[in-house]
Amino acid sequence: MNCPTARALFPDLLDARTPAGAHADARAHLASCPECQREFSALSQTLAALDALPTPAPTPRLRTNFYAMLEEEKHSAASVRSPAPPLPGTRTAARFAWLLSPLAACALVALGFLAGARTAPTASPAGEDATARKFAQLEKQLGDMKKLMAISIIQQQQASPTNERLQEVLVAARTENASEKVLNDLLAALAFDPSANVRLRALEALYPHADHQAVRAGILATLPREQNPLVQLEMIDFVASAHDRAAAPALEKIAQNAAFDRSVRDAARRALAQL
Amino acid sequence: MVETCRTRAALPVDTAPEPRSDHALMLAVRDGELDALGELFERHHGPLFGFLLKHTGQRTAAEDIAQTVFQRMLKYRHTYRDEGRFAAWMYHLARRCAADHFRKANAAPHATDPADLQDHADDAPDAGARAAVRDDHALLHTALARLDRDDREVLLLARFQELSFAEISGILECSVGAAKVRAHRALHALRTVYFKLQHTRSA
Ligand SMILES: [Zn+2]
Repeated sequence: MNCPTARALFPDLLDARTPAGAHADARAHLASCPECQREFSALSQTLAALDALPTPAPTPRLRTNFYAMLEEEKHSAASVRSPAPPLPGTRTAARFAWLLSPLAACALVALGFLAGARTAPTASPAGEDATARKFAQLEKQLGDMKKLMAISIIQQQQASPTNERLQEVLVAARTENASEKVLNDLLAALAFDPSANVRLRALEALYPHADHQAVRAGILATLPREQNPLVQLEMIDFVASAHDRAAAPALEKIAQNAAFDRSVRDAARRALAQL
Repeated sequence: MVETCRTRAALPVDTAPEPRSDHALMLAVRDGELDALGELFERHHGPLFGFLLKHTGQRTAAEDIAQTVFQRMLKYRHTYRDEGRFAAWMYHLARRCAADHFRKANAAPHATDPADLQDHADDAPDAGARAAVRDDHALLHTALARLDRDDREVLLLARFQELSFAEISGILECSVGAAKVRAHRALHALRTVYFKLQHTRSA
């Protein structure tokens, strides 16, 4: 084999997709030809430099624009396409069976309250639309609620005096000008209480104090350890509505981690777009 | 208690669903589950942006084109084929979008904004080494910018995007053999320009 023929094959030899045994004659020529060895080394240096080029991340603008576009398309798609046909009767019945559980009913009221409390003060020309969307979102999340409530019920049984703790949190929540101690108690309940209900209530009580940097930081610190998707969703909502840029890295991690429930990852992405 | 048992039996807790493949997600988007595109965005926008940044040499343009690529995925979702592979389709769209960009920008010559590209070498230990690494990156960016657009494109697709040559040939709309020849020629061209620039710098 001569030099030009061998050199024409060098890119192949440097390509990971080429099988190890291929081009044995070119390899043999390379082993014995110093000129070609120099050329081969130059090519592999060039490729190494190319591989070493850093790939910077795009600005947050790309994500913001993408999700805005997706929302817009979903709305225009919904107006031309009728929604998917409802699931067969048995499945639908099963989906709402959990509503009979009193605990679940409580959670639903709490959810409704949270949604109402949060959308009301921000009423704007687009407010009604936003509220409708928020409820559409909640409706979607109801599908997952049965699972969530099952988890919650199991946790309830493990720790009995839930009602007492719930009372304490609610009393603290009503305190005007909540002291640092009250805020710490609420954050501690959020971080350590075994009941998802109590944690949700604690979060709810922290809402008026979202302007405290310590509160936001406390919630951010708890978020990665939270196991219940419903509480995760509410925490993400909290940091998103507080517009805290410091939440971005934690949200990025959630958005990219398949271990989180899909609805939680979606919420993290929407929140990132809002920050 | 009865309630709990029933709920527990009906619900296998902790059975996290397998993550869906890119292809399955795009088929879902095609069939109306538009939210699935969010997952695809999260998986692919980084590498896609990297490809476009190296191809255009401009951050803003790369972001705009990446945005357009996802826009077209939505717009043309009904054309996504059952037997396709998502990454190949994405880069096929990206190539078209980049071509549109270059067509529009053709009045002005292709220029790499050094401020765009020289501020990303932050993992070198000290300032001197950092500057050297930065220079080397800048040098390679300059070399890339001097290649023919087609050469740069095939080189970046072949090197970064983990596509097979069959897929690359599909993206470039040529035969597999032709795609390989073009990729090889592009690598030789880059090597020549890169070493010439290095020589100029050290001289
Ligand atoms: Zn030789």
